[in-house]
Amino acid sequence: MTHTLHRMGSVENLSEDYVVLMMPSKDINHAGSGPKLRRFLQMALDNGAIKIGDGRLGNQYHQGGVDKVLENVEDRAVVHAVFRDTESLARTLLAVKEADFGLSVVVSGLFGEVEKCCKRVGLEKHTVNISMGRWGRTENLPPQEILEINTMCGHGMVTVGLIEEVIAEVRNKRCTLEEGAERLFRPCVCGIFNPHRAAQLLEEMTAKEQ
Amino acid sequence: MRIDPDLCIACGQCVPYCPVKAIRLEAGADFAEIDFDECAECSNCLRMAECPTDAIYQQELVWPRTVRSLLSDPLTVAKESGITGRGTEEMKTNDVTGRFKRGFAGIAIELGRPVLGARFYDVEKVAQAVASLGVEFEPRNPTTSLMEDPRIGKFKEDILNEKVVSAILEFAVKLEQLPQLLEIIKRVADEIKTVFSLDIATRVNPDGSVPIEPVVKAAGLWLSPNGKTNIGLGRPLVKEH
Repeated sequence: MTHTLHRMGSVENLSEDYVVLMMPSKDINHAGSGPKLRRFLQMALDNGAIKIGDGRLGNQYHQGGVDKVLENVEDRAVVHAVFRDTESLARTLLAVKEADFGLSVVVSGLFGEVEKCCKRVGLEKHTVNISMGRWGRTENLPPQEILEINTMCGHGMVTVGLIEEVIAEVRNKRCTLEEGAERLFRPCVCGIFNPHRAAQLLEEMTAKEQ
Repeated sequence: MRIDPDLCIACGQCVPYCPVKAIRLEAGADFAEIDFDECAECSNCLRMAECPTDAIYQQELVWPRTVRSLLSDPLTVAKESGITGRGTEEMKTNDVTGRFKRGFAGIAIELGRPVLGARFYDVEKVAQAVASLGVEFEPRNPTTSLMEDPRIGKFKEDILNEKVVSAILEFAVKLEQLPQLLEIIKRVADEIKTVFSLDIATRVNPDGSVPIEPVVKAAGLWLSPNGKTNIGLGRPLVKEH
């Protein structure tokens, strides 16, 4: 447990970072779930999601575009939508509640903000999963600001080396903050990396260095 | 993963994509090399580097090296869980499975995360420490399937030096066992050569409070302000007694 957990950051810089996951459970409600998962992703996009992804088949770059992500969703997929604001998140949660897909939905983000969104649309917490941080040889980890970007991909595919390379490119004006953030998104095959937040973090880092 | 030295033009494009820094390109070298012992077989370089000469290739994976790909490549489907990645459905479907019941806490100790990766001798060290509490490791978790004796957290001997991006030890404990478990975790954290990320899942109380919070706080430990919330939309909802 789990790929959308353990995101590091301050309350302030986590306040524009939310992921909604929908998945069926094997042998309970997975049969015929593909079309529902697809409708959820479309609903998320219509309500302001900045990225969608499929943990089974990959993000928009692996599949050849957002349309392909939607088209290829299968019954046992684990799908995600990324949000940068609580208004879009709450709208999506309301739409999902009204659609009554009957599939499990997990919202990742600041607990206080997620709870407020849920209350606004009449939803309640069922189960929570909380990070207790990093243990062991933490002295061997890279600096906090690198980890804040790295931990947005729970599988560790947005590597320290790539983050350092993108920081150098932004600093040397070989790419914009947004282009750099999009480059960082690409290896996150599940599509849960938040490029909006990454651009903010890159901006903070490069401004500090200057 | 391998790099064909005859094809590689030493452009260095693949180097930053390795999560465990196993790709090396020395100054003046004619080709990049993958440290085969360090490589976790995650396929990130093959997928992402856009090698201009197709010099990166996947060699045949045979046991015990297959373990690396199973737990490191996010697109590998584990037969135990039926889903991609190294985890399970865990709390994500708790509304329909009831995997973590009231009075229990789900625990996940993810060795190697973030950044450093893990070898199984460290995974085993932690597994054996928590097994002393009599925990049952989640049978659908692919890491559990690699154990020779899950009752004592003993892994198969031939995988102990295998390196993965991360491996998750997953189990549940009664809430009253939690203080003792946290003491064990604190102790074993000092005995390993890598890091782990620790998390805890729990069914929320009827009044919305989170039962593990006072226990963790009493132990003087930190809980993150962000995390995952299952909002109970799965059907049929599990029957709770």
